[in-house]
Amino acid sequence: MDIHQQIHDVIKQSTLKARGKSITKRKSRDPTRPSAAWTAPSRIGTDAGTSLSIVLSTIGCTHARSDEGGCTMCSYLLDGTSRNPTSEELLHQFRTAMTKLQTSNAPLSVKIYTSGSFLDPEEIPVDARDAILQLIASDDRVKEMVLESRPEFVVDSTMVSIREILGDRNIEIGMGLESSNDFIRTLCINKNFDFESFKLAVKTAKQFDIGTRAYVLLKPPFLTEHDALIDSQQTMSDAIKVGVSTISFNPVNIQRNTLVEFLWKRGKYRSPWLWSVVEVLKHAKSQSTSNINIVCDPVAAGKPRGTHNCGNCDSEFVTAIRNFSLDQDVYNFESLTCDCKELWQHCLEHEDVSLVVHR
Amino acid sequence: MVEFRIGRGHDGPARLGEYLVGSTTYTTPLLTGAIGKQDNYLKYGTFGRSSIQDSMLLSMPNTLELDDKILLETNDSHALILPSMISFDSLESNAGTLMLQHQLETFRMIKSHIDPSCFVVRIPEDVEHSSFHQIITDFHNDGVRAAAFSFDGLLGSTDFNSMKLRSRLPTSWITIALGRIAPSTLPLLFYLGFDIFDTGHADEAAVKGLRLWYNGSEEVSSTKQNRFCPCSSCASIEGATDASLVDILRNHNLNTYTSMLSESIDAMNAGKLRWLIESMTHTSPSHASIVRLVDKYIYDYIEEFTPSAGAKVIPLIGPESYNAPAVRRYRQYLTSRYQPLPHKPIILLLPCSAKKPYSDSKSHKRFLTTVEDALGSTSGSLAQVILTSPLGVVPRELERIFPAANYDIPVTGDWDYEETSIAADTLVQHLTKFPSSSTVVAHVSGGYLGIVKAAEERIEQSIIYTTPEFSPTSRESLVALHETLTDLKSILELKTTPPSALEEIVSATADFQFGRGAGELLVPENAKLGGKPYRQIICRIGKEQVCSFIADVGLLSLTLHGAKRLIELERYWVRLDAPAVRGGSIFAVGVSEADPSIRPGDEVIVLNENGDLTAVGRSEMSGREMCELSRGRAVTVRHKLEGDN
Repeated sequence: MDIHQQIHDVIKQSTLKARGKSITKRKSRDPTRPSAAWTAPSRIGTDAGTSLSIVLSTIGCTHARSDEGGCTMCSYLLDGTSRNPTSEELLHQFRTAMTKLQTSNAPLSVKIYTSGSFLDPEEIPVDARDAILQLIASDDRVKEMVLESRPEFVVDSTMVSIREILGDRNIEIGMGLESSNDFIRTLCINKNFDFESFKLAVKTAKQFDIGTRAYVLLKPPFLTEHDALIDSQQTMSDAIKVGVSTISFNPVNIQRNTLVEFLWKRGKYRSPWLWSVVEVLKHAKSQSTSNINIVCDPVAAGKPRGTHNCGNCDSEFVTAIRNFSLDQDVYNFESLTCDCKELWQHCLEHEDVSLVVHR
Repeated sequence: MVEFRIGRGHDGPARLGEYLVGSTTYTTPLLTGAIGKQDNYLKYGTFGRSSIQDSMLLSMPNTLELDDKILLETNDSHALILPSMISFDSLESNAGTLMLQHQLETFRMIKSHIDPSCFVVRIPEDVEHSSFHQIITDFHNDGVRAAAFSFDGLLGSTDFNSMKLRSRLPTSWITIALGRIAPSTLPLLFYLGFDIFDTGHADEAAVKGLRLWYNGSEEVSSTKQNRFCPCSSCASIEGATDASLVDILRNHNLNTYTSMLSESIDAMNAGKLRWLIESMTHTSPSHASIVRLVDKYIYDYIEEFTPSAGAKVIPLIGPESYNAPAVRRYRQYLTSRYQPLPHKPIILLLPCSAKKPYSDSKSHKRFLTTVEDALGSTSGSLAQVILTSPLGVVPRELERIFPAANYDIPVTGDWDYEETSIAADTLVQHLTKFPSSSTVVAHVSGGYLGIVKAAEERIEQSIIYTTPEFSPTSRESLVALHETLTDLKSILELKTTPPSALEEIVSATADFQFGRGAGELLVPENAKLGGKPYRQIICRIGKEQVCSFIADVGLLSLTLHGAKRLIELERYWVRLDAPAVRGGSIFAVGVSEADPSIRPGDEVIVLNENGDLTAVGRSEMSGREMCELSRGRAVTVRHKLEGDN
């Protein structure tokens, strides 16, 4: 067997092993309530408005549930439920969440997340999907809709129907590109699609004037900090070239029951430095045209499981990154300085040569 | 083209050599890193990421597009570490093998463009034994001669695995220790046969405000009294700004590596590298543990390269010496090779002395006088056995052999449990070689008495204690010894025997040196011996000298006649791929086969391509190295067959 295939198999098996029984032991949730829903002030187009984020409780990502093992860093499907909710129940979840917007004024933005793909008919049956979209369409206050999916579900027929139901509202589909490097996406992340299919999805969506949001990952396992930094920079450039409308930059955080957590517990992985995050954002901005939005809201930033520096400068960095996400100005990064910069630089250099993880 | 040339010299697997990378010739052992500026420092970096100069060690990132870029940008003037995935090898048991296969595949894709000698295999954390051997052989057959190992600096199982895997490489490979390597582990890694050492930790520590010392580190700050350091870098440390402090610390830390390395080289040249390793075991508990693991699990490897003779004086100070290769090997040879002459109805056990050889000490002179007085012309019936730690026992005939004549221990008369049991076991083993009807006279007290008591139950012979309560050298004790021996002489009706001390020394040394049977072959009944045990003993058969015992080293030198007699033992032979020896040295390239039990410093028998004796000499390397290396002096010739054959 091809050696890369064998390496991939070991990673798949290890991912499955790391997941262990966590999937079958998922708690069964009330199928009529979403996993989470919250509102936040938000910029919609050029106006100030409110956004509602909904995490629907579903059976979760098909890829993560399969023998393929899912992605090496992701355990979002643990937010899902062990029994697939019916269409009625899903609709009920959505209605429940929407009540949070009862008193809000236009413009509104509705963001629907699942712990998998909103466009995957196995996860969200087509009738439920259409009914949810119809509910949005019936609310004039909603000017924008964001959803998430793996690229293989972004196909003409689905795009036609979404565009038809939602009319002229802004629509954006988020997709986890993670890396534009097929080798890294396949081996290090076990993502199971290639860059071509992502490009195709972006093109397909564009034909229906549907925007795309690329999720770009920083530091999947089996890369040095320097490998990871360079890969994210390259991915940013590639995503911009492909013509996505938004880039959401996600430094790896260590989630439960993942391969990344397995390595981390053995001292074989360190979540990325905030220095690297800033470096990639600066690079992305230098490559982008003004109509691409680059955002980053790092999970668990400053904590051991999230992107972090030395501990002294972390909160300053996180603030700068959040501010950048709002105003897209690299000026936010200019005053960042700390003694740990040299340690980060040492790590970039030494890890590459020694392949010994710096923690 | 990249080449590693191993030079002369051995102390354990440690070696000196030259590493030719591009136009530069480095001498090994060698430091490597990104920041050093001193001479003889191998700069490293990452392909496509660091600024590249000639003669560097370059790591190839796993994400590299191999097809075009690397072929355009490198020539044969770098050492290139093949690409691997960080942390992958810790996933499961066959992951290490996959990483090696992955490198082999990459190597085969590009070896037609870059000289194979340039490549360095990155050894995973752990690899299954047989696939490791197979893949390394594949690389070797294709011309690769270098490996890089990773150390996380915790001195735990990962670091120990790297040491174990290093011991399984062909001896001709250069080995690079990368990762977090504290100055205090440098001598150990050198001892284990690593040739190049990563100084990356010097930079890491400096950035963290740490000053590295040979056995630890110190946090340097402006608010406390910092340690005094005479190095040039530290001259300006007081009042330094934060930015300049890091540079000062970097230089100081690198100086520490340089100084540690030079100390290791000097120790090796003096035959004291093992002592340096032992003296540094107290650096930390994990350091002590890993030295113990090395002695326990990679003993065969370190022993194989430990010379059969060494420094004039070898300090053996603590428990870490008990199983040092020279010590453990002595005990093994004694057990497997030593055979006492028959007709020894009395075995006298004596305490050791600080002065070596024992018979030069005041105490032993008294013992010898007492024995002579009591037994006179029957003293040939007595075997003398000296009890000691950590060698266990030393028969009088072997008191001049290495390391019996050279070891130096702290003598307080107190023995710990381990050394008592080592000595007791060795004594029990030793006494099984004597008839059970013989009598053991234990002229020992204190800790030595403890050894005999610990062995007593397992000893078949009857034991007479002559001095349990006093010092063995006291008047009372010597009188008791005298009386006991006199009594035994008349009870056992000892007969007068001609003096045989010279025969016993040469015969025992021959067995010890060349294995059982050698004594009989070199010292048959008709052998004639002359000389002094403390200078030289010449052994002749008929008119021909067969060997001579050199008291200074406690070993035999063979003549061609002696060698001829030993050929039938099929030990300590080196076979050439030529009809005869030319010149005073035999180089490894000319050796076709050699006895794998040959150690550096052994007396060896040189055979020509037809298996006929052609010379005798002293080995400069181990038997395996003679076969595997293509350079370097294998044997220094002492005598060779002259004439037209």
